[in-house]
Amino acid sequence: MNKLTGKIILVESSPHMSMVDIDVEGDVFSSIVLETPATASYLKQGKLVALVFKETEVSIGKNLSGLISLRNRFKATIKGLERSEILTKVFLNYKSHPIISIISTRSAQKLSLTEGDSIEWLVKTNEVSLLKEDE
Amino acid sequence: MIKLRIKNEMHTPQGKEWLDLDLSIAKGEFITLFGQSGAGKTTFLRILAGLTQPQEGFIEVDGEIWFDSQKRINLPIQQRKTGFIFQENCLFPHMTVRENLEYACADKKEQGSIEEWIVAMGLKGLEGQKPDKISGGQKQRVALIRALISRPKILLLDEPLSDLDMNARLKLQDEIIRVYQKTRITTVLVSHDLAEVFRLSKKVFVIERGKITKSGSPSEVFVNNDLSGKFKFTGEIIEIQKDGVLNILTLSIGNNITKVVASDEEMSGLTIGSRVIVAAKAFNPIILKA
Repeated sequence: MNKLTGKIILVESSPHMSMVDIDVEGDVFSSIVLETPATASYLKQGKLVALVFKETEVSIGKNLSGLISLRNRFKATIKGLERSEILTKVFLNYKSHPIISIISTRSAQKLSLTEGDSIEWLVKTNEVSLLKEDE
Repeated sequence: MIKLRIKNEMHTPQGKEWLDLDLSIAKGEFITLFGQSGAGKTTFLRILAGLTQPQEGFIEVDGEIWFDSQKRINLPIQQRKTGFIFQENCLFPHMTVRENLEYACADKKEQGSIEEWIVAMGLKGLEGQKPDKISGGQKQRVALIRALISRPKILLLDEPLSDLDMNARLKLQDEIIRVYQKTRITTVLVSHDLAEVFRLSKKVFVIERGKITKSGSPSEVFVNNDLSGKFKFTGEIIEIQKDGVLNILTLSIGNNITKVVASDEEMSGLTIGSRVIVAAKAFNPIILKA
């Protein structure tokens, strides 16, 4: 499980769900949750929250161009790789925070990922859970 | 309303422990005591029923003092009006189903309701049988009627379903829900089956080594509400298989066995037997008609 901490900067709600924008050291992350400020007290501007997402939901892009629907897209460097038959674990350095991505070994080979590479990592808004942080 | 404050020494495999409880249960509430064996759950029921006398304390039920160690009040079992169902059925083996019920019915005026209960609990046709001729689930249904027939103020259920197979267990859970909805009798269930706790009770007290460590609704107590995930369950790890960079966990969740993957980082501090919360975003699961 990857975990980053940030501050809520915007909550946009429909009757049952919200799109939450969170500032993590200058980058804006988005998360969609089946909550609204009425059902979850922590959904307020200025509140500290942790963003959690599974390693297997983190995609990796190299030299990305064109348009993509994913809003959560950030720059990082590869710190290391651990390869196994089907899957490869990619250790990333994102603003000095460790992020792990688990992708198929085929993809890792296709992208010829190597230590030190500058890449972009991506995670869909509906894969990011929010965890209330004690302030 | 039950108000209770008791202290009693318990002898457990880990040595001497104090059962030290201070709690109140609203009239008509269905609560569960949840905890490991030896935590003090059964002792609590026995104290409430008057089968065990605590060293110290005070029990008040609907304004009536049942026990007060300072004033030396200790209401005898017969006057406490509790219905008790134990884990193993305690029907008289030499009596038929009907005779067992008649024997329990101290008030002769209530005898007329025996037939009504027999029909309501699906035991019609079995009333002439001795207990060894009926199934475990049927025996516990007889025990349930027997506990209710004298119109107790409190129903005490000491893991009454734990010896039953899954089908009989679910069926008897339904009966207990039905009886509770009909009678609204204050009910205290002892259980260490999470699915049962969630299904039956609105409030749960967790007892660990003689003390209440948590209380609240089952989801407040067992589910971490600080996480936004809506697809969220509590389960137990029963198998861990390493495959490449991932671990495949087999989990027992309620009555289901599921598998999820976890990274080594997520696995830190977890072993077989660990209780875990499994959560996914509500957007991920696909739904198929069963």
